[in-house]
Amino acid sequence: MLEGYTGKIIRKHSDGIREGEYHAVLVDFVLLPDPTFALLLPELKDLGGRIWNKEGVFVTVDHFAPPSTIERANIAKTVISFAKDEALPHQSIYQGICHQLLIEGPWLRPGMLVLGADSHTTTAGALGCLATGMGSTDILYTLVTGRTWLRPPNTVRINLKGKLPPYIMGKDVILDLLARFGEGGFRYQALEFYDDDGVLSMDDRLAICNMVVEGGAKNGLFSPDQVTKNYLKERDGHLDQWENFSHEDFRYTQKLTTDLSSLKPKVALPHSPAHVVSIEEIKGEGIEQVFIGSCTGGRLRDIELTARILNKRKIAPGIRLLITPASQKIYQEAMEKGYLKIILEAGGVVLNPSCGLCGGIDKGILGSAERCLSTSNRNFQGRMGDPSSRIYLSSPLTAAASALAGRITDPREVM
Amino acid sequence: MGLPKRITGRVWKLGDHINTDILHPSPYFSLDEARVKEGLYEGMERLGTNAKRDSSDEGVIIVAGENFGCGSSRETSVRGLRSFGVRGVVAASFARIFFRSLTNLGLPALECRDIQGRVKGGDSVLLSLEEGWVELTDKRRFPFSPIDTHIKKILEAGGLIPYLHKERGRERDGI
Repeated sequence: MLEGYTGKIIRKHSDGIREGEYHAVLVDFVLLPDPTFALLLPELKDLGGRIWNKEGVFVTVDHFAPPSTIERANIAKTVISFAKDEALPHQSIYQGICHQLLIEGPWLRPGMLVLGADSHTTTAGALGCLATGMGSTDILYTLVTGRTWLRPPNTVRINLKGKLPPYIMGKDVILDLLARFGEGGFRYQALEFYDDDGVLSMDDRLAICNMVVEGGAKNGLFSPDQVTKNYLKERDGHLDQWENFSHEDFRYTQKLTTDLSSLKPKVALPHSPAHVVSIEEIKGEGIEQVFIGSCTGGRLRDIELTARILNKRKIAPGIRLLITPASQKIYQEAMEKGYLKIILEAGGVVLNPSCGLCGGIDKGILGSAERCLSTSNRNFQGRMGDPSSRIYLSSPLTAAASALAGRITDPREVM
Repeated sequence: MGLPKRITGRVWKLGDHINTDILHPSPYFSLDEARVKEGLYEGMERLGTNAKRDSSDEGVIIVAGENFGCGSSRETSVRGLRSFGVRGVVAASFARIFFRSLTNLGLPALECRDIQGRVKGGDSVLLSLEEGWVELTDKRRFPFSPIDTHIKKILEAGGLIPYLHKERGRERDGI
């Protein structure tokens, strides 16, 4: 049974073949970040090295950006060389985190079917795409054939209602859902968000769709609306047409509501993104590091709200505050608007856009038993460093407030 | 290649919500198979399993709980399992990317909620892919969920890329 907006996208992309529960579908666009693309390159070359549609792929060097070891330099080099030799039209070296660059580029529109060799490809669902992550072998199959096999998911409609309090961000909305349904609570499902009053900004929506995968969802999307249109218009300088079916009365397995006005700032405790409590239950907990960045929490609004909290203040003695804007574009805008100056004066350190810190790849690695409050998406054991370190997840507002106090702090206390 | 009718191996037992970051810590991401294998061993150590560095010739069956393999899509976790001689994975449920990656690399991923509490690390178990059950040391058998037709075809081919070669062969022959 094809349900929801997601089912509609699958039907529109079907090439008519079904095997068991799986539908063969045509893919519009593929995201190829450095490590997972490098993993499939030898086999791609064995298969003749031909990509089905060079216009439909985007290669990024963002995980090893820039590389911190010889091995990683060589991995990144294989990707850079391939993209150059094949003259791939869409490629980026060090310009930002793939999921941010994917939605900044002029490629995606609502209703598209997008794959990425990275689990957080779900992020692009904020633009009304069916976007999902897969392993390297799946992506290799798509690069050669232009197709993939999808098992149509059950869909859950989530109505976002009520006024958005100034201390609540998209991150709190998704942490609340993870608290209610658990890690794996949305396994194999599609989450479709309806923000009928248009209260959530695109940056908040991207953070929500980014983390649906922590509940096990195949994809998450926002039903395209005026916020989507405004975003695309600003991005492209004009508004492309797309086939709009957001008004259709879709079937859903389940319908849920989130009352935004009653939400409290949320924190995920070690070692699960679904191990979530309200700020009251954890405030006062000591931390050594605060990280504001990643493909979840490093967008302009995240940095703007961080700057507002830190304005004319200093972070607590002994606390390390690390910021990575999600892309060079965001970095530059944050600089032009004066946000970075405020952050630097408060004692923060601004790093270049990359996946390094969130993925425990380089910079900001945690030592034994150290605690970090992070605006990223995963707090799995050992993800950011020593296996005995502990990661807490929160919104950028909560993270910035906590950097000031030197312990986990309710943002309402400093706003 | 065809689907092996029966698979035997010693159990490595894991819990619920085992994510790929702990299964294969990211510092071990590599294109070098030996390094990838070392990463999986590190993960198994962190998870407190009975894994041995040299257990590859014996055959291993992973038995895990709910939502197995959640998190990152890095396929190095599955490649690491394969290099340790893992022949099949039985879990109460799978995270979707991990399920696909196991299948794509030719490893049967079988859903069964009944055995995690009944096996311990090191037990010998037998899987019958043909008849759809797993047999424990005490000879008791428990059914796993039926394997989807499409998934079966990929497994019969030996993984997604051999399946692709078959598809291309069919296209060439005009079938």
